[in-house]
Parts: sequence; structure tokens; C-alpha cells
Amino acid sequence: MSTQDNISVNLKVWRQDGPNDKGRFEDYSLKDVNTHMSFLEMLDVLNENLMKEKKTPIEFDHDCREGICGSCNLVINGIAHGPEARTAACQLHMRHFKDGETITIEPWRATAFPVIKDLVVDRNAFDRIMSAGGYVTVATGNAPDANALPISKVHADSAMDYAICIGCGACVASCPNSSAALFTGAKIAQLSKLPQGEPERKQRVKSMVEQMEKEGFGDCSNFGECEAVCPVGISISAIATMRTEYVKAMFS
Amino acid sequence: MSSFAYALQTTIGRKILTGLTGIFLTLFLIAHLSGNLSLLIPDGGEAFNRYAEFLHDLGPLLWIAEIILVILFLTHAYIGISIYLNKKKARPVNYSYYKSQGGPSKQNFASRSMLISGSIILLFVILHVMHFKYHLFSPETYMTSYDGQEMVDLAKHVEVAFLNPWIVAAYSFVMILIGVHLKHGVWSAFISLGAKNPKITPVLYTVGGVVAILLAAGFLLLPLYIYINGGLS
Amino acid sequence: MEVADKSTFKWDSKIPTGPLTEKWKTHKNNVKLVNPSNKRKFNIIVVGTGLAGAAAAASLGELGYNVKAFCIQDSARRAHSIAAQGGINAAKNYQNDGDSIWRLFYDTIKGGDYRSREANVYRLAEVSNNIIDQCVAQGVPFAREYGGTLDNRSFGGAQVSRTFYARGQTGQQLLLGAYSALMKTVHSGKVEVRTREEMLDLVTVDGTAKGIISRNLVTGKIERHAADAVLLCTGGYGNVFYLSTNAKNSNVTAAWRCYRKGALFGNPSFTQIHPTCIPVSGEYQSKLTLMSESLRNDGRVWVPKAKGDKRPPNQIPEEERDYYLERIYPSFGNLVPRDVASRNAKNVCDEGRGVGESGLAVYLDFADAIQRDGLKAIQDRYGNLFEMYQKITDENPYEVPMRIYPAVHYTMGGLWVDYNLMTTVPGLFALGEANFSDHGANRLGASALMQGLADGYFVIPYTIGNYLVEVTPGEIDTDHEAFVEAEQKITAELEQLLNIKGSKTILDFHRKLGKIMWDKVGMSRDEEGLKEAIAEISALRKEYWTDVFVPGQQATYNKYLEYAMRVADFLELGELMARDALERPESCGGHFREESKTPEGEAKRDDENYTHVSAWEFTGVDSAPVHHREDLVFENVKLTQRSYK
Repeated sequence: MSTQDNISVNLKVWRQDGPNDKGRFEDYSLKDVNTHMSFLEMLDVLNENLMKEKKTPIEFDHDCREGICGSCNLVINGIAHGPEARTAACQLHMRHFKDGETITIEPWRATAFPVIKDLVVDRNAFDRIMSAGGYVTVATGNAPDANALPISKVHADSAMDYAICIGCGACVASCPNSSAALFTGAKIAQLSKLPQGEPERKQRVKSMVEQMEKEGFGDCSNFGECEAVCPVGISISAIATMRTEYVKAMFS
Repeated sequence: MSSFAYALQTTIGRKILTGLTGIFLTLFLIAHLSGNLSLLIPDGGEAFNRYAEFLHDLGPLLWIAEIILVILFLTHAYIGISIYLNKKKARPVNYSYYKSQGGPSKQNFASRSMLISGSIILLFVILHVMHFKYHLFSPETYMTSYDGQEMVDLAKHVEVAFLNPWIVAAYSFVMILIGVHLKHGVWSAFISLGAKNPKITPVLYTVGGVVAILLAAGFLLLPLYIYINGGLS
Repeated sequence: MEVADKSTFKWDSKIPTGPLTEKWKTHKNNVKLVNPSNKRKFNIIVVGTGLAGAAAAASLGELGYNVKAFCIQDSARRAHSIAAQGGINAAKNYQNDGDSIWRLFYDTIKGGDYRSREANVYRLAEVSNNIIDQCVAQGVPFAREYGGTLDNRSFGGAQVSRTFYARGQTGQQLLLGAYSALMKTVHSGKVEVRTREEMLDLVTVDGTAKGIISRNLVTGKIERHAADAVLLCTGGYGNVFYLSTNAKNSNVTAAWRCYRKGALFGNPSFTQIHPTCIPVSGEYQSKLTLMSESLRNDGRVWVPKAKGDKRPPNQIPEEERDYYLERIYPSFGNLVPRDVASRNAKNVCDEGRGVGESGLAVYLDFADAIQRDGLKAIQDRYGNLFEMYQKITDENPYEVPMRIYPAVHYTMGGLWVDYNLMTTVPGLFALGEANFSDHGANRLGASALMQGLADGYFVIPYTIGNYLVEVTPGEIDTDHEAFVEAEQKITAELEQLLNIKGSKTILDFHRKLGKIMWDKVGMSRDEEGLKEAIAEISALRKEYWTDVFVPGQQATYNKYLEYAMRVADFLELGELMARDALERPESCGGHFREESKTPEGEAKRDDENYTHVSAWEFTGVDSAPVHHREDLVFENVKLTQRSYK
């Protein structure tokens, strides 16, 4: 952690012109980086400098910059979202880097997340998994009174622990096998804790798993790396829950 | 394809199969180890030899057990290899720089080397069976008799083998690898089979580590004892 | 300032007749219905997939319409509704504390400083209860009591506990609920979600909305989409100030293009400035982070009494501190409404008593609360907020007072809509923050989520039918000359931006615009400043079109090209906001005019002359827009001046 106000960093950034380009690393150096800057603001500054030299800026996904939208997707120094635990890249600050440090920045790498340009990838596979069953079928206007069905605080809290997934895909990016088990498991686990999820419970896990398979994600080998990089710290118990739900669905 | 057959081929089905086969193989190892440890009884190997003869006499039952064991092994190995191949397919371009975040991550030497440790163990098992079951590497088959009953002196075979420093070294290496494989394997099997209570999973991780160390240490005990002691008794 | 002859413009807010409490019920019984077998013949475009957009697209898809939903993000789930922290109001009265639809209506209309329509606000309060039911049924894990019933908290100074919440991530959970409903309709084939696709123009035929022109943000391809109705659910335009709590990609472009095609823009200057944000730390700052308003329940706001006192806060003795909110507002103290707290922070900083390196911050001090209630209690209440603060600033708020400063947070203004949420362009509807309708001049906490979902789930599914029955489905296809023309125009505009190849970056201009807006069209406004702002923005816009540098090409992924279009539109919007603020010399809600204050310096409304909605009509980029007014009629509530002394 740097205690200086300004540091210099060397950046090794993945540049790829389009989905079919092979891609390469390019080196940049940036001086006078204020340590209170966020990592994305550092990239903003780099892009401003590039544009002042009439060069093409680096493309990266970002939106809310407060760790909730799940847009940002950078592998920083080998770790999805960078070195700080439970921190999305947009909430990472430059004070966590040393003066003169070389920082490697790569996109999420997975067959299911093809690169669009530079550090931007296509994560629509997640939408398709959700569309396969990550919902409760209830048409608008058909709902009973919200308090008609009490749900114990324990279950509601536990459902919330899984529901906070921001869908960033760091789990896939960090997994040595590129598995989407944590993402898929989190939604299955959330709805398995709630009575509203009950009627479609079996069909949901079957369909979502089937879609996950189709998208070309890898196997889960219980490395637990996904939990470690997850910006909201979703436990791999989500994955274990998905498996028991799946077995139950198959045998009944 | 029936939905059940499909389910077995999904990443979830495969993982459950890996966990199940792994647990049975671990149970087999425990049984195997307890048989081995009977060699340490100072009776000139009689208990051990009688145990081996008892197994041998089971006849068709033994064959069935052996066939099951082979199926467990091959299934476990087949899935392991296919997970590896799938992983290559799921990320064709690798990171130039990759690091574990640490913390709750269970990525370590053990978990990253499952394929390698597993492959070496598979190779070892084949050699091991050829060595002690079919005595392929022995110049002769040692015999002994107790109460007039003649039987193979397997204890002698073991003793001869483990007086050879090369064999002891090779065995020790593989036994340590088995420990390494089990360190991730036992815990992983629990998770694959649905252990999900966050209060219990850390305990299971410790249990996995302890089982791994105990089994590896147990298997190491015999060759090291024989070699250092210069023989069985 | 030109004021149009109202008689030349035909519009109607279509508020149903009858008593306030019966209007919506009567209206629902009277709207025309589209036959189920005909619904599938209608194509509807929904732009934006936040709470309003996702809820509308899902609900209309379920009804049987063919829906295309567009979002600029890579997934519908990332719309900025996701960042709302606090909660959502509903008049459930689960706490038995005397809440009712009437009270929620009254609080909302009073909170908006009587600059919104009674009928709309009442309907909002009325459907608020259905929203909670709907969300719970979708599996939204709201906070619960041990007995299993839903928990509520009080919020934004309301006297009842009517706010439902899911930790500090209520917006996220509600959006994921709406998103899951949307994904379900995608699965059933009724809705097509087009991600990374941005609406760049509205296509109108004979003044009626018939489709949009969009840009595929991955390939750069300009596409035409025809529809029988277009729903704009594109959120607010706080980013016109450059720094705001909005997401980086939040923008006004879609709404602005509709304004240019004839939709009136309602109350554009009504902006909410949130008092508790983490202050700007340097020039590089790209966005501001909100800290929940609940912090003011225990934190005490202060600045040094002396100007330019640069001592660390812990070395400033008690008697040299000015707890200015407690001093000025003895009865409400630190809990005065958002606009009052924000304005006072600005005042003390303007006096030179601001703290921190920039001098643009005030302290929010928890030392007394920690001493009174213990560290543990404060940790339980605000642990996650303190953690977030420490993550960003690297300061420990348990030991050093927090530094906070106001930031732009929400825009009450938006496209003018009638009771059916239809703009002045037939077939074009605006929902959620994109319309002007329900919050008047100031929005109460926990009401934005409520409005977005009310519009999407419970209003538009009824009111759109009333329009569609008059329309022949599929009348216009994308070969129509209106589409050809609109596409050519957009393509030319993009080319023009790329070909300027000037010397300044887009960000340079956006920052400059933001500074003008913040200084002159921000927390307090006066005639002179507003006039300067209009001139400065107009000049900046001209400079933009001659000296901006836009990198890359059109036919690729190019985020800076997207950004360039958005800033171009902000440069027009900023001027309109200044004009609107200038046209309204009264102070009301978040709109504070230096010329209109009480002797104590508080906001003073002018109900006699300004109880109206200002709606602006586009006449050309460099010509003055025409001002129209919709008079607000209050039959059920009595207008009172707010006082927090």
C-alpha cells in the first residue's frame, strides 16, 4: 500500500481490435497518479492522455462505479477485480499499488465471454442462463398480499446472501476451469430458500443447469476461487445447494 | 438420451460422480491401509499373509470387488481427464499472469495438481498391482505355510521390495502424492455431494486435510519402517 | 424571454373527472381495451431496462404485445436503478402507525413543494401497495421481522415507517425482480431484449411516434426499428452536471431526441441535490458516491467557526465549531430535508469555512453518537456505510469525522406526460425518472423506486391500450421515408463528430459544462448567473462542434463516440435547464432562487404566479424554446409554506 500522494505506474494492457483480432499487450506508463484515484479513474486519465496524442483509447466496461452494477470486468495483476478482497475494480483505489509498479490488465477470459474489444467482453451468456429459469412465474397483478406468506428472517436473510450477486462474472474469470457454477448456483440457492420459488423449484434447476452447460462454461472443481474474488462475497455453499437441488430434481 | 443419463454428463453430474467414486476409493484406501498395518504385528507376517489368503479365497466375490474397484478408478480418472479437457475448451486463451486472491480460496498446490497427482497415482496403481499381485518384478514367488496350510508369503515380498531404496523412494513419493490428492479430494467430495452449511464446510476442509495426512503417513510407515529397520522384525 | 401564445398549442393532461380517490379506479374502468387476439399484432418498443422499463416490458409482454426492449448496458440488469440504496415506500400500514394511501399521497405532494399533479401523486400512492405484493411474489428478499412479516423503517423524515428495504441494496433487489420477470418473457418469446443498443432518434410520421433509430454499440451499425408505440424509460439526466451520483453512462440522449421531435420537456431545472455524498478529491474525479441519508440520524454536521481554519478536526475545540444546522434549525437540526441541508452546506463553504483540501466539504461527526450509544451500536447501524467511506477515502470515520458535500442525485424534471404517461407526441410514452410527473420540485426519499415500478407494472399496461385501440398495427414499416431520413441524419451526425478532430477531449467539455451548471444552475440560482449560464453554454456548444476530438471510427465498439453524442445533447439540455430556472423566479423544493427567500434566507414559493408546470417546446438548437404552462389545480390539499425552524 502506498503512502505517497502521487505514484508512477507502468501498465501492461490487453488490446484487441475486435472479436477476430488475435490481441496483444501494450505498455503504457503513467506519472503523477494520485493515490486517491480509483483504478478506473486512472484508466480515464490514461485515455485522456492517449486522446490528446490522437491515439485510440482503451475500451473497458464501467457504469455505476460504486460496485453494484457489475459492469467492470478487469483482471488486474492476475486477479479478477484486483488485489483487494470484496472489492469490484471500480472501488479499487490506486493507494493499493506501489510507486513504479507494473500492473497487468486483462479482460475476463472464457469461451463463454468472447472479447468484443480490448477489455470489453460479451456476458450475454449470463442473461440466457437467467432467462432459462432464474425467476418466479408471477404475472403482474397476480400477487397475493405481501404479508400473506410469512418467511422466517433466517430464510429471508439467507436468500438475500445469494440474491446480492451483481452478475459481474468474476467467478468465471477467476475460476481455473471457467465455471459459472457460483453465478448459476446463487440464483438457484436464493429461490430455494423462499416459498415463492417452490412451485418451479425442480424445473428451474434443470433448465438453468442445462443452459449453463450449453454456454460452454467449464466444470466446477471446488477451488473456491470464485468466492474469494466475488465483490459481494457469495459463498460457494450456493454451488453445493445447486447440486443438491439438481439431484433432488433428477430423482423425483 | 434419457434425462438421467444426461444429468450424469452435466458438470454437476460429473462432479457428483467424481465425489462418490472418490469417497469409495478413499474407503478402499482405509481398508487397504488397515490390512497393511497388520504387517507391523511381530508375528513374522502371519496375520498379514492369512489376511491376503482370506481375500484370495473369496474367489468370485473378490473378482466382483476388483471389477467394481476398477470401474471406480476408471470412472474417477475418466471424469478427471474430461474436466481437464473441458477446461482447455472453456478458456482457450490463458491469462498471461494469474494469481489466487487467497482468503476463502482453496486454490493451492494440491487443488491445482489434481490431474497430475491423479495420473501418477493411476500409473502407480497399475505397477503396484503388477508388483504385488502378479509378482511381475520378483524373480520367484515366496511361499510359506501355517498349520500345514501353504500360501504365498506376501509379507516376504513386501519386505524384499522395501529393502530396495529405489522402491522405497518411489513409494514414498507416490504416498505423499496420494496425501496431496486427498487434501483437496476429500473436501471437494463433500462439497460436490452437497455439504453447504458455511459453519460446517471449514470443518470438512480440516477433516479432509487430516484424512489426507493420516492416510499418507499410514502408507509411508511400512516402507520406511522396513527400510530403516533392515527388515520386518 | 419569449412566452408562447398558449392557445396555439393543443394539449390536455387528461386527468379523469370525479373525486380524487376515485379517479384511477374510474379511469381503469373507462380505458379502452385491446382484444387479446389483437395484442399480438402490436409492436412496442421500450427504451431502457431500469425499474420502469423492465417492469413495463415484462408486463406488456405478459399481456401479449410484441416487445423490443433496448438497453445500452451489456445486460438489462445493469440499469442504474440498481444503485438505489435506501428503500421503497408503500402505504401498507403494516406497522399500524396510522399510515394510509392518503398520507403517502399528502407527504409526497407536500415534499414536492406543491409542484406536481394531485391525480398522479394519488395514483402513485394507491398502487404503491401492489408493488410490494408483486415484488415479494417475485422472490425479492425484503428485510423481515423474526415473525416472518415484512420489516419497515422510517425514511427521509416521514412520521410513519413505510419504507420497505433489502439491506442497503433495495434498488438492486427490485431491479433484479423486474429483470427476472423480463427474462421470463424473453424465454416465452414475447420480449426481445437488445443489449448494447442505444436509441439515437425517435421516428415520427405525421407527428406520431412510429419507431426509433438505434446504434448497435458493438458493431456501430445504425438500425431502424418500427413500432406502434415507443416507451421511454431512460432515467434522469443528472450527468449534465458532469459529477453526479448517476452512473457514468446515464444520459439524456433518448429523451432529448424526443424533445427535438416535438415532445415537451417538463420542469427541466428541477434537480435534487443530495446532501451526504463523499466530496470530490481531485480533478480526476469521475463520479460521486452517495452515503445514505440515514447517517444524519446520528451524525452532527459542523464546520469551524473561523474562515480558513485548516487544523485537523480533532484539534478544533468544541467552542470553535459551528454546528450550523442545529444552530439555524433548532427543531429539526441535522434532519432538515435534503434541499435545506445541501444549501446550507454550500453557504458555509462559500463563506470560506469548508473543510478538507478543497474547502468543499463539511464534517459529519459521529463522536458524540459513539460516546452516547457506544461503538458497537454505531457499527451495527452504519457499519457497511463506514466501510464504504473508508474504502474510498482511506480515512476511518470512527476516529475522524466524515467529510461530506452535496451532489446531484436525481432529476425531477423530464418529458411532459399526461395522466396516461403519454408525451405530447402521440404514441410516445415516458415512464419513471424520464418523465416529469410525480415528484414536483423535490423528491422524497424512497419514492423513486416506487414511481418507476408503479409506472411500469401498474399504469402503462392499462393506459397504453387506450392509445393502441386507435392505431392500425404495423402501419409503418422501416422502409418508410421517415426512417430513411432519420437514419441518414444520425449517420451524418456521427460522421460529423468523428471528423471534427479538434484539440480538446469530450471530457474537457463535459467538465466545463458541469462547472457552469454546478456554479450557476446548481443549488442556488439567480437571474444574473442563469443568464450568464445560457450564454456560456451556448458558446461552449459552438466550441464543441468545432474543437472536440472524438477518437476511433463509427463502425466499431467506440465508447467515446457514444459519449460524444451524449455530451452534445447535454450541451443543449444545460441551456434549457438554465432557461427554465430563469423563467421561474420563485423558490420551490430543489429550485432555489436567491431572489425569492424569506427574511431568514429560506425558500419562498410564489403560489399565486407559479403554481404550474413549465413545459418547453423545441424550436431549434440555437433558437429559444417556447414556454408553455400547465396550471396545477389543488382541490384536496392546502398549500402551505415549509418550515423546519
